[in-house]
Parts: sequence; C-alpha cells; structure tokens
Amino acid sequence: MNVQEWALIAFTILVQMSVGAMWVLRVAHYFAARKYGVEEADRLSDRALLALVPVIALAFVASLFHLGNPFNAYRAVTNLGSSWLSREILFGVIFAVLVTVFAFMQWRKIGSFGLRNVIAWLAALVGLVLVFSMSNVYLLQSQPAWNSWATPVSFFATTFLLGALAMGAAFVANYDYVRRKEPDCADVQCTLMREALRWVAVAAVLLVGVELVVLPIYLATLASGSAAGLASVQLMAGSFGWVLALRVILAFVGAGVFAMFLYQNAMSVGREKVLGSIAYPAFVIVLVAEVLARVLFYTAHVRIGI
Amino acid sequence: MANQKAFYFDSSACTGCKVCQVACQDKNDLPAGLLWRRVFTYGGGSWIKQGETMAPNNLFAYSVSTACQHCENPVCANVCPTAAISKRADGIVVIDAEKCIGCRYCQWACPYGAPQLNEEAKVMTKCDFCYDLQDQGLNPACVDACVMRCLDFGDLEELRQRYGNLDAIEPLPTGDITKPALVITPHKHAQMSGQGTGRILNLPEEV
Repeated sequence: MNVQEWALIAFTILVQMSVGAMWVLRVAHYFAARKYGVEEADRLSDRALLALVPVIALAFVASLFHLGNPFNAYRAVTNLGSSWLSREILFGVIFAVLVTVFAFMQWRKIGSFGLRNVIAWLAALVGLVLVFSMSNVYLLQSQPAWNSWATPVSFFATTFLLGALAMGAAFVANYDYVRRKEPDCADVQCTLMREALRWVAVAAVLLVGVELVVLPIYLATLASGSAAGLASVQLMAGSFGWVLALRVILAFVGAGVFAMFLYQNAMSVGREKVLGSIAYPAFVIVLVAEVLARVLFYTAHVRIGI
Repeated sequence: MANQKAFYFDSSACTGCKVCQVACQDKNDLPAGLLWRRVFTYGGGSWIKQGETMAPNNLFAYSVSTACQHCENPVCANVCPTAAISKRADGIVVIDAEKCIGCRYCQWACPYGAPQLNEEAKVMTKCDFCYDLQDQGLNPACVDACVMRCLDFGDLEELRQRYGNLDAIEPLPTGDITKPALVITPHKHAQMSGQGTGRILNLPEEV
C-alpha cells in the first residue's frame, strides 16, 4: 500500500461523505422549514453546510497526491467523450463549486430563498451524478473485483451512511453551540435535532443492512467467476482477512448498535448530553469501517492477464 | 480495412532468452525495472513416484514474449482522462508524455500490463513499436534482436493470412477485452487463455 492509494481512499471517502451530507442537509432543511419555518431550518443546517466546504477542498487536495505529475491535473477533464475518470473530475469540480457558492450565499444570506434553494438542490443532484461517475471509473473489464454491480451499490451506501452519521454528529455539535450562544432558540432546535437524529439512526441501520447483505453475495459471485476474481477473494479472505473482519464488526457496531442507542436516546427530552457521546463515536467508528473497506477495495483487486 | 500494424510471435521457436527484452531496454534507454517488452515462462504439470523414481506427469513449459499489443480496442486510450494516449493512423498506440498526469488509470485497465510508470519522469510509458525506426523503414529493436527469428511485425491482416487468427495463449488474457493486434504461432504445449492449468514460472522481479 503506497501514498497514491491513500490519496484515492481519502478522495473517494471524503467526496462520497460530502455528497451524502449534502443530501441529509437538504432533506433535513426541507422538513424543518415545513414545520418550523426557514429561519429555524437554517439554524439547524447552516453551520454544518459551511463545514462541508473545507472537507471537499481537502478531498481535492488529497486527489493530487495520486498523480505523478499534479501540475498537469487541469488536463484531467479533456477526455469526457470516453473516460469516466474525466467525467468524475468534471462533476467533482461542478459539485465543489455549487456547494461552495451555496454555502457562501447561505452564510451571508445573499440572493432570494428560491435562488439558493435551486442552487442547493442542483448541487445535491450533481453529487449523485458524481458518485455514479465515480463508480463507473472502476467498472473495468480487466478488474473483476471492481467490475461488479456491487461497486455502485457500495459507493452509494457509503455516500449516504457516512453523510448521515457525519451530519448526526454535526447536529449534536450545532445544538451544543445554539444552546450556549442563542438560548432563545434552544427549545425548537432541541426538538429538530432529536428528530433529525432519529432519522439519521434509521438511515444508518438500513444502510449498514444493505452493506452487510451485499458483501457475502458479492464475494460469492466474485469467487465463482474468473481466476482473477477468485484470486481477489482469496486476498480479501486470506492475508487481508483481518481487515475484512474488522470492517464488518466496526460497521455493525457503529451503524447498528450505536445507531440504535442514538434512536433510543433521541426519543425523549433531557438526554441531550448523552447524544454527543453516542453520535460522535458512531461517526468515527463507521468512518474507520468505511476506510478499511476502501483499503480492501484498492489493495485486493487482481487484474486479469499479466 | 484500416491500416493496423501488429506484432507476430512464434511461441514454438522462442527459447525465452530475453534478448528482445534487453534490446528494447537498450534502444529505449529504459531505467532498471521498467520493461516495455517482457518474456514470460509458463509451465505446469507434476511429478509422480513410480517405484524408486520420479516420473514426469504432463510436464510442460514454454515462453511468451509480450509488449503493448497496439490493440484495435485500446482500453488504455479510452479510459485516459487527459487523452494522452492515442492511436496513430498506422494503428500504433502512443502516449504523449506532455499530456500524461501519471494517474496510472491506464495501468488498471490494460490486461497486458503494458503501460508502466516511469518512476523518474512520473509519467506513464509503454512500447511505442519503435515508430521512430519504422518511420525510417527500419525494424523495431526487439524484432531485429531475436536470435530465433520468432518475433516479426507487419500489417495485421497480412500476418493473419500468413499465420492464422490466434491472438492469445496463456498467460496472456483472452483477446476479447482489447482486440490485440497480435498474431501467435502456439508452442506445441501452449494452453489457451482462460483454460490454463499451469502458472507463470518467472520470479516476480524478472517480469
């Protein structure tokens, strides 16, 4: 495992988390605004939105470390006609620009609500196209471990799982801030946070369910395909078996056990102090699990041929 | 039919001496470890005990010299994000080092392991079919170097008419992925790609 692969792990994980976070914030904002008005909805999501901008920037900086000649990186969008990698970079840049513009407008309240809303939904939709392009990059006929329906499915699962749990942690942090700085709004924000956390918990349980169902089917299909596919499975289950085991356990603990506690504790008022000690570790544990999954993805793929 | 330059390789005559590989390194001034042309030895079978002696049981081994196949479906060029890889009018697939960003995506896509990173220049490089020599009417360095005369080159259609349509034997991948511009005369023990029972016998650092 070398630096270039760490760069790809960081890039893909951070980008997917940002796309998922953008969707969670959009949905949370939509329902919060319907119930309590736009101002309270903004108060719930604006700070988390601003935090997304440096995360996306970090993802792109990380991606440069993958390149032999990063000074030529601007050329990476010049083969849109046939290269999914070109398309990935193009949609990545559009996503980054839209999120940054929207976050800035939202922060300074520039432009009408309608205009900001359009930009935000556009960013979220481009994010989906971005994750789709990112999946297609790996659908190479020479790489049986990647050339599978499991690649887009697990990329999208990672997207929404990390997005949900990252924003779960962000909602708790945001509430902590609101309670200290703007105590007048604390009651409504408390209700909003608890409700958002319950949905975050439900999403996490469902998505980790998808991941844990996909994994054995994927491994079985891969092992019964080509010789290179079988060799990949032997790597994943053999010398990297501990990574695979740890990845499954951490995903189950973080997005299963912790998410259930999160749901339970978000039910009633008065447990706000406890929520942080569940939402933060849940995010960190699942982040580690997803990084491990990506480590496997980039190391245990055996190419057909020589 | 468009013009397509192709390699011909006679596995039945190859001794695995690697002079093609060395000639390629020399002509292209490649740093150690970078091999545009590689020679694989593929073999299998076993030994069985008969009384006091060990007897060979379907033992076989043969060599395959391989480089970039200048494919009719060059997946490397298709996936390259900077369009740094292109196909010339004569079918030769070349990398423009000025455009390459060294992302190694072509390396993931190519089942022949042809594109390789030049660790010094930080860009992808591969066999360019000695197009500079060919443009002067000369032969590629590997073809001229082969002591067994088992490497040749020419127009793909002509080579097929002369030698047949075989474009893959183990350990090469099947030809369906990239449609390689390659014509092979198989060794008498050659196994068809995807159905091999042997393995690559070289040390990893050899190839």
